[in-house]
Amino acid sequence: MTSGFLLLLLVIVTALAFDFTNGFHDTANAMAASIATKALRPRTAVMLCASLNLIGAFLSVNVALTVTNAVIRIQNPDGSPRPELVSDGGTPLLTILLAGLVGGILWNIFTWMKGLPSSSSHALFGGLVGATIAGIGMTGVNWVGDGTKLDGVVGKVVVPSLISPVIAILVASLGTSLVLRITKGVARGFADAGFRWGQIGGASLISLSHGTNDAQKTMGVITLALIASGHWQTTDAIPTWVKIACAVAIASGTYIGGWRIIRTLGKGLVDISPAQGVAADTSSAAVILVSSHFGFALSTTHVATGSILGSGIGHPSAVVRWGVAGNMAVAWLTTLPAAAVTGAVTWYVANILGGGVGGLVIFAIMVAVAGLMYARAQQRPIGSHNVNEEWGAKPQPTGARV
Amino acid sequence: MELFGLVLRSFLEVLLVGALLGAGLPALFALGVRVVAISEGRRSYRILAYSIFALVVVIVLLGIAVIVADGLGVTLGE
Repeated sequence: MTSGFLLLLLVIVTALAFDFTNGFHDTANAMAASIATKALRPRTAVMLCASLNLIGAFLSVNVALTVTNAVIRIQNPDGSPRPELVSDGGTPLLTILLAGLVGGILWNIFTWMKGLPSSSSHALFGGLVGATIAGIGMTGVNWVGDGTKLDGVVGKVVVPSLISPVIAILVASLGTSLVLRITKGVARGFADAGFRWGQIGGASLISLSHGTNDAQKTMGVITLALIASGHWQTTDAIPTWVKIACAVAIASGTYIGGWRIIRTLGKGLVDISPAQGVAADTSSAAVILVSSHFGFALSTTHVATGSILGSGIGHPSAVVRWGVAGNMAVAWLTTLPAAAVTGAVTWYVANILGGGVGGLVIFAIMVAVAGLMYARAQQRPIGSHNVNEEWGAKPQPTGARV
Repeated sequence: MELFGLVLRSFLEVLLVGALLGAGLPALFALGVRVVAISEGRRSYRILAYSIFALVVVIVLLGIAVIVADGLGVTLGE
């Protein structure tokens, strides 16, 4: 087996692993509110979310093969890899992709261990930016695009992460306040029963759009790797097996449920009622759909968190745990640089050892570090059985303590 | 300043349409719940309530249509 082919295999496996972490990291975005208000039982919620993610992933026929162009310059505008990066069976490009994916995965698992919702897309972009700076230099990074539209690290990552939570907070607090005013005087139990149905609708929309948007990023990365190594030719389509593998990876990640994050988002931030839940879920679904329609690249995670926060602000007697919100904000601000540093370091290690050996070593390091973090998380396991326990009662996610 | 203009435009677009749908829909839904609650079995109220719920469902279905269309690469306008 040539070293280029070995690297390709490692990129494919790592990309699918990233897709899997993307799934469990983002279950909370769609389902945290429905689980917290008992609109859905925890197991039912993750099952529904996983099914809709799977369907959503297959709906993304129009896969963006230019996914990395948002932040780095390793592809031509048509999606084909830069010719200078495909020498030696695509080794230069494959090493950047592999190191970037490792950076994204490790940051995703770290934030999961801490029970913090952070953007999987930003982790992937961060890892790729770091690996690109290490491999090509600063010129390889697309910082602001050409100025005609929001693009690059600033336009696709920094700006959206600052303004999308603000939009979600405003929309959800308005929604919560309207819902509470309109149903004032209606028997709470009766109104709540209705709102729970509304929540399920909103959560389903979020799940479906998540599958459509996020699975295709990994599909794009794998297809790019196949093109770079000469195993796929066209930039107009992706191999069917790639589509199936990515869809299954993100859906199975979703199904195992990132319970630590679901707990923080559903119970830690605000003690959410069905009225708030329906406002938060509808706000998330609407903001995500509207922005993707207008081509504004925001993160589902930031919107979902902002919406839940907004539902607390819009409720006159709700308590918002600002300490938890602060921890999340720190995690958002550090996602890109932290994943970038990890991606860069990983690239250097791979480059020193070179080719397939370097790839194998960074893959092994990733597995070992991920395993350690998993073991540490299992000291305080959170699952469907205790996800809804009162916040402050043990067990609670480390690092997100109030 | 060009960047600032682009940011402001995206912010306002998403905020306004997002608020209309994201806060308007739960408000409409809440209105439906309220009409059911005060109907006391009166037929006209129930019909009104179900019309409101039907409208909510139609808007949600349109939302799904947008997701599917975007996934299939259909773009409206622009």
